[in-house]
Amino acid sequence: MTAEISRHGRATEFLEGRAASRRRIAITTPEGVALFFDLADPGERLTAFFIDWVLWAVATVAIYFVFVFVVLGAFALSDKVGLAIAMSIMLFLAFAVRNLYFIHFELAWQGATPGKRMVGLRVIDRKGGPLSPTAIVARNLTREVEAFMPLSLLLSIGAVTGFWSHLSLVAWILLFSALPLLNRDRMRAGDLIAGTVVVALPRRMLLGDLVDSVVHYSFPERYLAAYGAFELQILEDLLRRPNAPDAAKVRREVCDKIRAKIAWTDTVADPDVERFLTDFYAAQRAYLEREQLYGKFRADKTEAAGFAGG
Amino acid sequence: MSDAATGAPLVLKSTQFRKAREEGWRELEALVARAEKRGAASLGAEELERLPVLYRMTLSALSVARSIALDRNLLTYLEALSMRAYLVVYGPRVRQASAIGRYLARDLPRAVRRARWHFLIALAALLSGVAAGYLLMRANEDWFAALVPGALAGGRGPDSTAAELRNEEIFAPWPGVVESFGIMANYLFSHNSFVGILIFSLGIAAGLPSLMLLVYQGLTLGAFIALHAERGLLVDFLGWLSVHGVTELGAMLLFGAAGLLLAEKILFPDRMTRLESLAAQGRIAAQIAIGAVMMLFVAGMLEGGFRQLVQPTGWRFAIGGATAILWLGYYALAGRRRE
Repeated sequence: MTAEISRHGRATEFLEGRAASRRRIAITTPEGVALFFDLADPGERLTAFFIDWVLWAVATVAIYFVFVFVVLGAFALSDKVGLAIAMSIMLFLAFAVRNLYFIHFELAWQGATPGKRMVGLRVIDRKGGPLSPTAIVARNLTREVEAFMPLSLLLSIGAVTGFWSHLSLVAWILLFSALPLLNRDRMRAGDLIAGTVVVALPRRMLLGDLVDSVVHYSFPERYLAAYGAFELQILEDLLRRPNAPDAAKVRREVCDKIRAKIAWTDTVADPDVERFLTDFYAAQRAYLEREQLYGKFRADKTEAAGFAGG
Repeated sequence: MSDAATGAPLVLKSTQFRKAREEGWRELEALVARAEKRGAASLGAEELERLPVLYRMTLSALSVARSIALDRNLLTYLEALSMRAYLVVYGPRVRQASAIGRYLARDLPRAVRRARWHFLIALAALLSGVAAGYLLMRANEDWFAALVPGALAGGRGPDSTAAELRNEEIFAPWPGVVESFGIMANYLFSHNSFVGILIFSLGIAAGLPSLMLLVYQGLTLGAFIALHAERGLLVDFLGWLSVHGVTELGAMLLFGAAGLLLAEKILFPDRMTRLESLAAQGRIAAQIAIGAVMMLFVAGMLEGGFRQLVQPTGWRFAIGGATAILWLGYYALAGRRRE
């Protein structure tokens, strides 16, 4: 399983700058296919939480203003009573919105909140089962203790006095915020209780196939033994980004390197570079895929040709 | 010499494979994107039938692609699409209304019955707090300031006379709809829920803080009881308290029981790993905690709204007793029938 994923995993890590240490959890579907979910980074989760926190604050303030102007205006209550009622309902709304915001969105959007969606994160069941409503409630109830209480204490830190109070506050925040860093699957306390993990689930576009049926350069097999899958996929990336800065220059260099490596004697004029590279890519992929079907997967150029790995 | 032969056809297995299936992938991608945005319920009947078909097709395409294709874009696309489709296909397909019904009729009382020993431990913690608070106050009323936070005391204390307590607290006039439902009920609910969730969540810290919080709640209550008993108001005070107190204390004990469920699996994971057993138990605990929040809402209504409306102590005991019987009956009997 891991051998299969690594057939493009290494190129993906190289090209997208993903740390090789980025943890995955493997979930085998009932159909028997293993899917590999990338765990979300603490930074990504913090970003998502911050976005949600801002949205929550804006929503609470907006509801408050609507309430004050519409409801109190309509009933024309006296100022003092009106203010007291508004304050108490405000307290209630803040509590309700804070707790329902996450629960509502994770229920309705299948494990995503607006913040998580923007960052590309999802909550999933650790075992790959359906994400049950109770799990969503469980992981969000603890937010009150993990995030909102220390946050509000932090904002009113002037009110807290004494060495021991400060120490216990700092210890509290450290304990809960460091918890995701202390376990393998980056779970916070709510995830522990609910049996969930947060994964990064980026959207991928399917781009066109680079292999045309018509080729101008053809490369017999003796030219194709030099490279492996890793180099092929780096070349693919180069061809898929024609608008990158220096694209023309880099292509010229790559073209010359390939020519030197495979001892291609003809020169390639500047306008033909892209054609040459595309055709070489097609021929190389055809060759490597055929070899792979025969059980000879070649990871990169350092691997001996004909190695029966995979 | 030249190996360049213009116009030679090149056909790859992976290209043919892709051409034959690409349409299905795109269709699945559109369905999944919509389900993610508006929920699986937004898909029509026909689309719901298509979804698992397309999903299985894409999943099998992924496993074929993993072994025959070297196109990185194709592979990462299929991986990501399969993961997203998997989560939609095997995601929860519950209607919120029916889920709430099942929760109230079956899940919640069952969860509470499973935690009956935890509930009793929480009760013991609360009662020991009450006893301690009571005894300390009887020995020396100066303890009151230490046991009851200023905001909760609301001007009551060792200096209060029996008449003050009787007229301004226990038999104070009803302040009116706005004041009682609008302000008191809300404030009490928010405050109590916060304390309750704290008791629940601190179960993660092996349960000791939860128990300490329950003892502390008990201390405050015991101090109040002693304050009134000293002034010959014990029966009237208990009646006044029972209107909402049965529901409110019941909710706090449920929060405590839920917290202890968590603590139990952190301290004594059984056959499973600590994480697995915590996850299994945590969901039950969360069900209990939600039930407790609902009870607090009821308690807030009773306390803020009705308590001062019903003045005779006998009637107050009747309301308190009725709520006790209702809650006990609900948690003991509901959802016992097998499916």
